[in-house]
Amino acid sequence: MILEIENLEAGYGRLRILQGVRLEVGAESVGLFGPNGAGKTTLINTILGINRPWKGSVRFDGREIGGLPTHEIARAGIALVPQERELFPGMSVADNLKLGAAYIPHAASIADRQLEMVLELFPILKERYAQLAGTMSGGQQRMVAIGRALMANPRLLILDEPSLGLQPSIVAEVFDRLAELKKSVSILVTEQNVRESLRAIDRGYVLENGAVAIEDSAEGLRTNPHVVKSYLGI
Amino acid sequence: MAAKQNGNKGKHMALKRRTAILAALAAAATVLILLWKPTVINNGLQQAGLYAAIAIPMGLVLGIVHIVNLAHGEFMMVAAYATYFACKALGMDPLFAVLPAAAVTALLGWVVFRLTIQRALKAPELNQLILTFGIAIALTQVVNILFTSQTYKIPLEYVSASIDIGENTFPVWSYVFVATAILYAVGLRLFLTRTTAGKAAVAVGQNPRGAAIVGIDVNRSYGLVFALALALVGAMGALFLTKSAIFPQVGSPYTMKSFCLVAMAGIGNIPGILGASVLLGLSEQLLRAFRETRAWADIVFFVLIIAVILGRSVSWRRKK
Ligand SMILES: Nc1ncnc2c1ncn2[C@@H]1O[C@H](COP(=O)(O)OP(=O)(O)OP(=O)(O)O)[C@@H](O)[C@H]1O
Ligand SMILES: [Mg+2]
Repeated sequence: MILEIENLEAGYGRLRILQGVRLEVGAESVGLFGPNGAGKTTLINTILGINRPWKGSVRFDGREIGGLPTHEIARAGIALVPQERELFPGMSVADNLKLGAAYIPHAASIADRQLEMVLELFPILKERYAQLAGTMSGGQQRMVAIGRALMANPRLLILDEPSLGLQPSIVAEVFDRLAELKKSVSILVTEQNVRESLRAIDRGYVLENGAVAIEDSAEGLRTNPHVVKSYLGI
Repeated sequence: MAAKQNGNKGKHMALKRRTAILAALAAAATVLILLWKPTVINNGLQQAGLYAAIAIPMGLVLGIVHIVNLAHGEFMMVAAYATYFACKALGMDPLFAVLPAAAVTALLGWVVFRLTIQRALKAPELNQLILTFGIAIALTQVVNILFTSQTYKIPLEYVSASIDIGENTFPVWSYVFVATAILYAVGLRLFLTRTTAGKAAVAVGQNPRGAAIVGIDVNRSYGLVFALALALVGAMGALFLTKSAIFPQVGSPYTMKSFCLVAMAGIGNIPGILGASVLLGLSEQLLRAFRETRAWADIVFFVLIIAVILGRSVSWRRKK
């Protein structure tokens, strides 16, 4: 298992959001679903050290990373596409992408190759190479954020609502590319669009009120009555 | 989200526009006064160079670390004192102390940053202002206790170098400040746009969380930028000593004026600081040229900053 989370608790101020989460990601693609406010972003931000874990453990590649500063976790090999994108708005698309690799030891040396791959995945970024990221449209900024994370040549790629603001054809393409990627990189992805993302994942968790309510294979989730009723809609 | 994007774009355009306006005003004023009182131009430009070379590092810190360092001029004062005593002990010219002064001040800045300012980065702005103001007072008082309020000066011949044109004599030494200011502006631009460490610093300034996510050590970047700014202001301390007498409070007007210039230029706008400095230097020297207005020269920066604040609140209201 590349990522092992046990009994994780975290929150804001005195408000506990994560109520003892257990979650694992291996050499596979894992979905994280749940209603708005369930704690998906909180969980992801806690893995990255953006939020401090209160209790429990987060192990990456066998090493405890709970409590480490974010930049060290990133350098260890976890790349994040944040829900809020978190780009550098006054810098060019090119610089945003390049900074994705510059400070990651195992990415800096192959940055040129990764860059080629990202520009091939998102041709629009090649066209807008010199444009300031902050002046791109919302969907284009999402592509920059995904591209920036790919630049880090991560061992674990975490995507928080990657399809938010992207047109369906691009979403399909991103998911196809993720399916290709998952052979070389482990993926943890949250999605509102459960139906679309079930195609691209191997397993999934449903998070409700800060705890794992369901854990199953993609096939199992597709046929789970609760999932069908609450997330797939008829 | 759309509003945020437009906001970014708008901010960028506004900064460009402000730089253009400042440059145009500065250029127009220069030409007018040049025809009428050439010595005012000569003195004003040199004064502008001094102001800009001190204000640019303050702008760097504000633009990236988002801290107004109210001890900025005081650090220059400390660098000037260190230079003075080193030069006295070694019989050395202050010009040779420029690089050592930069190194010593950078080190001092790094320590002060790690021990104090870094802990206040997430605190409310008022607390940060109080902290750096406290550092300013502490630096001034320590120097006062160690060396008294006596003034120190190193007499240097080359400082009175001048050129005669027609019936006017133009002192030229202080153009060294103009050269320094231009060097700082160009050098910082290259550093921030061409080097990885510089780009990382800009990224940290624009979005610390985004920077941490891509593996940049945010606190280290802040510390490096702060130390770099202090290196630049430390070098200015040694240069300042060639020209001026020093005493414990000598740095404080430069803190105020730097703040005024940075505010006029707008956050993160280093070329704008050059234009604003020319405006300030020329206005001061113009007032100094007449006996009736001479006393007003030292508060002209105050008038400028009020004008900027008024101008901004007008354009802000118009936007609403
Ligand atoms: N910075 C914060 N301070 C206080 N409470 C917060 C903060 N961020 C999130 N919360 C609360 O934590 C809970 C979980 O939020 P979180 O963003 O993790 O949910 P989510 O599952 O990602 O939802 P969504 O699907 O809307 O993105 C919510 O009740 C939210 O109000
Ligand atoms: Mg979320």
